[in-house]
Amino acid sequence: MAIASGGAAAPVTSKLQVSAGEIIVDNVSKSYGTGIFEKKVVKGCSFTIERNKLTVMIGPSGCGKSTLIKLLAGFEKPTTGNILLNGKPVTGPGRDRLVVFQESALFPWMTTYDNIMYGPIARGEADQKARDLAEFLLDKVGLRDFRSKYPTQLSGGMQRRAELARAMINNPEVMILDEPFRGLDAMSKELMWEYYSALFEESHRTNFFVTTDIDEALFLADRLIIMSNIPTRVRATIEVNIPRPRKLADFFTSERANEVKMTALSLLHEEAMKSFSGGSKAAADFVDSYARRSEQKA
Amino acid sequence: MEQVEQLLKRTLPFQVVSPETLGNIAGISQRETFSEGDVIYSAGQSANDVYVLASGRLHHAITPQVNAKIHEKSLNAGDVFGWAAIFEGERIRLADVSCTEPVEVLRIDGTKLLDLLRRDRNFGDAAMRSFSQLISQQYYLPPSVANRVPSTLAAPATTAEEPGEPAAQMASTWTLTMYRAGEWIRSPDPYLMMIGFMLLLGSWYLTVEVFKLPRFEDLPGLTTVVTEWFATDPMYGLSIHTSEYYQHVWVSIRRVAIAFLLATALGVPLGLFLGWSRTFREYVFPVFELLRPIPILAWVPLAIIMFTGSETPVIFLTFLASFFATALNTMLGVESIDESYTRAAYCLGANRWQVFREVIIPGAMPYVFTGLQISVGVAWFSLVAGEMVSGQYGLGYVINTSYTMVRYPTIIIGMVTLGIVGYATSAMVRVAGNYMMQWRLREMALGGR
Repeated sequence: MAIASGGAAAPVTSKLQVSAGEIIVDNVSKSYGTGIFEKKVVKGCSFTIERNKLTVMIGPSGCGKSTLIKLLAGFEKPTTGNILLNGKPVTGPGRDRLVVFQESALFPWMTTYDNIMYGPIARGEADQKARDLAEFLLDKVGLRDFRSKYPTQLSGGMQRRAELARAMINNPEVMILDEPFRGLDAMSKELMWEYYSALFEESHRTNFFVTTDIDEALFLADRLIIMSNIPTRVRATIEVNIPRPRKLADFFTSERANEVKMTALSLLHEEAMKSFSGGSKAAADFVDSYARRSEQKA
Repeated sequence: MEQVEQLLKRTLPFQVVSPETLGNIAGISQRETFSEGDVIYSAGQSANDVYVLASGRLHHAITPQVNAKIHEKSLNAGDVFGWAAIFEGERIRLADVSCTEPVEVLRIDGTKLLDLLRRDRNFGDAAMRSFSQLISQQYYLPPSVANRVPSTLAAPATTAEEPGEPAAQMASTWTLTMYRAGEWIRSPDPYLMMIGFMLLLGSWYLTVEVFKLPRFEDLPGLTTVVTEWFATDPMYGLSIHTSEYYQHVWVSIRRVAIAFLLATALGVPLGLFLGWSRTFREYVFPVFELLRPIPILAWVPLAIIMFTGSETPVIFLTFLASFFATALNTMLGVESIDESYTRAAYCLGANRWQVFREVIIPGAMPYVFTGLQISVGVAWFSLVAGEMVSGQYGLGYVINTSYTMVRYPTIIIGMVTLGIVGYATSAMVRVAGNYMMQWRLREMALGGR
């Protein structure tokens, strides 16, 4: 398995067998309704989720990112255009593209361990190897002592970590994450960034991460895709080029990080302003929140 | 004092406790001041008190032996530290805490605090959990440390899986039950309940036997009924000392049990399929909805025509009401399941049948058991209707014949017995439900119910 590109050190010894896939989104459009009721949510969208890289997509909230995720996951089909995984068109949901959604989807009637083992059990692959891997992942996400607790007994951050483990045990070709850390408090959020990027650095599995948080995007991304507002289109792609492993402590003081952040912010502002004059409330809030944030930081 | 409560209310672990507990905690906290450079405690010392920082700044450094993600941090007003004082087992300081400014703190004795939290039935456990959360999230310590905060509730899931001595487990469940019973006796609940009963019985006694209000004086009085019910030689032939009484009770229970089991066996699968398959629902649901509102009494003639004997029509009527309640609630249960669960299961490689078995069925369970509780209630309701019209024996039959034969006290005996037996059966369904859905029990405990 090639774990070469990405510029970072390959994992030393990992129990995770990584098969990394590549997704090509080719001129994809998606609209709902027909005739005069037709609403184009995604329009002529093309980008590549590169092998072994962590690609982060950022855009104003309500810009149709979630629709894009549903298309990638195979829950819905594009109106026109193609989505190709390793050259083959995506036809339906499958274990090769696992999605971690923004709302927790851990089964509340199963313990943490049973939740993590669900994938292998459902496919009839729950052998010793899978059980070992579950143990390994429980350690990795720091939930060993919570293995026999039910999801409602876990904190928000723990639930998110359990969900990451539940996805990773299936060794998907591509992991797709839809704002997974939304709604966590600032402290747990930063902790999750570190956990998550450490997990990525260990395996260099192909990851696609969608967010509205610029700091989150910056800290995690190898490649940053900036989206325009509805209809969704790619506005720009930035290669972040900051070496891994990254540490939160000094990350945001580095020159490169600030440079990328400024570029991304100016693009996002432009995008948000454009739709603001179009009358979108969401976009106005978006501009507001960023303006306030940069004031605080100054 | 109020100031102290205000401060406590702002901290993570104490914002969840009841006002009463908060007051008690404020009662055992002592204000203390330190000047710049003072060391409040250092690692390795024994830990007796938990602290809340009221003003100023502190430096908190965790010893490297403990596997913290981040070792040093500064504490501000409202932060809670010194939580090692409520650990289970050895209580040893894990950090050095020194003052970077003159500070004011609240010192709370750890043992006393634990005691207070244990006594807060509703929120104590939530506070303990907040402590674990605080330790893992704000101090970046591994769960092995956070888990040393004891829990007031026994977690059924963990005790069941850990290979422990069953005797010790039994003992702890037993002590827990005794402890809860003790708490219940000490709380106002049982006394309020008694007042409720006394109001009912008192107004019955007063209106019928003391004031002899018009229209009420013909009713059997409290004392008459009680004497009749417990008489060894009852005037109207039915008391707890006659075997006939138990025969009536037994016949009714048997009818309800048969009807309820049938209704569950047919209603739950029907409800599951109604919720699960759109096509099936298109066929069946309109018919179902048309039949459901027809009152049980309207079915009586048909039941008598359709079934022979006196037993089957009654069971059929009882079954019918139960069946509709169970099926409808089960269907609602399937509809209540969040789409994200089924999506996740498909994503993880489950097929349609697996999703049905592993997501739809357990996901609908809470509604199913609500449905079963309603169903057992309406079963008794329609049983009495059925027994009044057709059938021999049974509590409904007792009530009806006692009326025609002017044995008024026996009517009341039949009614009260129905109340007691009905309550007992629905409590049994509830207990069975709680036993089968321990995950849900935990959830409700979190909600303070």
